[in-house]
Amino acid sequence: MRRKAVALTAVALVMSLTAGCGSLQSSATEVGGERMTDDRPVRDGGTLTVALNADPDKLDPTLAQTLVGRTVFAGMCEKLYDIDEHGAVIPQLATALPKTSKGGRTVTFGLRKGLRFSDGTRLDADAAVTSLLRHRDLAGSARATELAPLAGAKATGPYTVELTLKQAYVPLTAVLADRSGMVMSPVALKKYGKNFTNHPSCVGPFKYVERVGGDRIVLAKDSNYYAADQVHLDKVIYKPIPDGNVRLANLRSGDIQVGDQMTPVDVRSALTEPGLQLFNSPSLGYQGIGFNVGNVKGLGEKPGRVDTPLAREPRVREAFELAIDRDLINKVVFQGMYEPACGPVSPESAIAPGVKASQCPQRDVATAKKLLREAGVKTPVSIELKVSTTPESSRLGQVVQAMAKEAGFAVTLRPTEYATMLEETDSGHYDAFTSGWSGRLDPDGNIASFLQTRGAMNAYGLSDPAIDRLVERGRAEADPDERAKIYDELTRHAQKRRGLIYLYRQKNYIVTGKDVAGVRVYGDGLVRVTAAGYAR
Amino acid sequence: MTSYLLTRVRQSLITLVLVSMVVFAGIRALPGDPALALAGEERSPEALAAIRESYGLNDNIVVQYGRFIGHAITGDLGTSSRTGLPVSDAITAALPITLELATLSLLLAVVVGIGAGIVAAVRRGRPEEWLANALALLGLSVPTFWLGMVLVLGFAIAVPVFSASGYVPFGTDPLDNLRRMVLPAIVLGSGLAAVVMRQTRAAMLDSLSADYVRTARAKGLSRREIIGGHALRNSLVTVVTVLGLQLGHLISGAVVTEQIFVLPGFGKLTIDAVFTRDYATLQGVVLCTSAAYILINLLVDVAYSVIDPRIRLGGAR
Repeated sequence: MRRKAVALTAVALVMSLTAGCGSLQSSATEVGGERMTDDRPVRDGGTLTVALNADPDKLDPTLAQTLVGRTVFAGMCEKLYDIDEHGAVIPQLATALPKTSKGGRTVTFGLRKGLRFSDGTRLDADAAVTSLLRHRDLAGSARATELAPLAGAKATGPYTVELTLKQAYVPLTAVLADRSGMVMSPVALKKYGKNFTNHPSCVGPFKYVERVGGDRIVLAKDSNYYAADQVHLDKVIYKPIPDGNVRLANLRSGDIQVGDQMTPVDVRSALTEPGLQLFNSPSLGYQGIGFNVGNVKGLGEKPGRVDTPLAREPRVREAFELAIDRDLINKVVFQGMYEPACGPVSPESAIAPGVKASQCPQRDVATAKKLLREAGVKTPVSIELKVSTTPESSRLGQVVQAMAKEAGFAVTLRPTEYATMLEETDSGHYDAFTSGWSGRLDPDGNIASFLQTRGAMNAYGLSDPAIDRLVERGRAEADPDERAKIYDELTRHAQKRRGLIYLYRQKNYIVTGKDVAGVRVYGDGLVRVTAAGYAR
Repeated sequence: MTSYLLTRVRQSLITLVLVSMVVFAGIRALPGDPALALAGEERSPEALAAIRESYGLNDNIVVQYGRFIGHAITGDLGTSSRTGLPVSDAITAALPITLELATLSLLLAVVVGIGAGIVAAVRRGRPEEWLANALALLGLSVPTFWLGMVLVLGFAIAVPVFSASGYVPFGTDPLDNLRRMVLPAIVLGSGLAAVVMRQTRAAMLDSLSADYVRTARAKGLSRREIIGGHALRNSLVTVVTVLGLQLGHLISGAVVTEQIFVLPGFGKLTIDAVFTRDYATLQGVVLCTSAAYILINLLVDVAYSVIDPRIRLGGAR
């Protein structure tokens, strides 16, 4: 058994040396490290076709739920706040960062004057209030949870908004830098109601033209946009192309100009292509393996006792973590192009930087075996690991399976399609599953729903009063240094409980034609096309 | 003939209703909660409850079916839970694409398959037969996805004669339409062409050794008249049967082909709907596909009598 494991590790190392250890630099792409934009001057005119890895859902900021949908919104719906290339929150439709009263219960912000929605109507404080309350109250709103602390919103002047909160809620500014901060035309909302999704109207560089389900979403330059003179493209077309190979083939043929969310394998192929270039930014999200430690009645219900060695005995989970080599996973499965991770918050976060990859626990099979002996469990410990049906997820499962085997685990892989995976894990019918999150700007967005007792996405059934208290403190603490300390402590608690073993952080890889400049790719993973165009 | 047609149409409608029931129940038997699939990352209990309420997912399955069929009769196939777009609009947009793809593939399969089949039968034991057989074997064995990617690499990237993806209606730009449809049609039609070739060859060999062909030869008819007028005409009955059966496979094969060439047809619509548990779209698509299958079977039955007058419809003596 040991020989087999050694052989596997050797094979993995050889694969990593041949496939993954090269630098991202190449004569074809002229890249190295992080590359978030290309500032070459661009000419006016032209159409940019952006290939997305899935078809977006509803184009209504209140109801939208997908990451690809956020990318489309980045072209047509500006927000009260945005992020910059360093991950810091900056004003977008608002004039400055919000002012918070002592005690944190009242938040005030001003709006820029002279802004118009794509339907030509003016943006004012009333419009912002209407949108915020719709985000909070509309049935089926995907924003309701993050705006739940909002007690009220009112216009205190033509361009001034005052928000009252049920309790201090520091993540609010970051929340307003996402879809909750998108302001929709009240006229369009009134005219179309729930059908706003087919007639979205916001303030943005491009306006909605048409959508052909499964095929394309077309946006055209909006002459009402306040900085229309800085927008170069005539049109942006978003096309869903789920298969990475097909996205790459279309980039090569010139049928599309931007490929969103490319996988490491595709990026490697793209590096040899003289007509293509690569952009990349660190991600705010994480990927890992979640364990069922207390989910007996389903999501949102009271956690109970799960009778498996993994759930009963924290030392078994610790042994599992020590059996895994994060660096090797990154090299073998992801060509060395992602980042090993062991906490919910990215070290790149400008708000509360998380644990660096170098600080993650190292593989220690001897200690893992010792822990299993001390826990008194019968080895091999059987675990069924649900993996999604993508090739990458399968490879990850196989590598984890081989590593864990050496420490005394018998991991059975069960490839499970996305919708089924959600149902089974939310209802608690699983031992372990590959769990991931696209990430949010504020650390609270990466932690609260997952680790808090009865959190909206706590499929692990975790319940730890210390974590619950720290989540509440983190939301209420205005001092950035204190906040960073709280999230540091939270991370340590999460690592100790191991309801979820964080493994790696994806990077956002965007491939474009070499004639395209001005596309911006920040930590939130969205392709920003406001300043994009064809290089002069 | 008329009474037979009426009986067949009635039977087809009953089949369609039964199919709609099976489809409706089958889709709901799929694992995976549509509300969860729809909510994705943002799945708070409140959002899930609102989604279930909004799409009537809390109702009894009989009530849901009644609502679906009631609306379907009036042409309203509901609204996509994912995009919020009317399902009938999505189907109307996707149908011409898949139909065009299927038609072009069929055309290719008929021309290449029947042509190669005739050549293989007439030139039996010669290199032409060997070549036709080898091509048929290739057409049957090459995986669709691989063939698609090879054609894209060859004819859309290396020598950019055709386009790698997307759809432009024939009416908008006929040339651009063909640039985008030729490669998918080759990919989808190659397997069918191989089947048609083998079927034509076998049927032609049978016909060429039949008594009536010997008689025709004895009567001094030309080779062209014997092959085209006698042997081929009789062989086509079997070929048409196979084509009818294979048309269904064309529509299902379109699922993969449309993914490779990013054609927003029925196949792509179906796959997207399955993965997002978009019940309304899935029901609409499967119902329309079933209707197409039933219609094709009906047309094949009618085609028999046109090709071979010896076959009488409706059990006529």
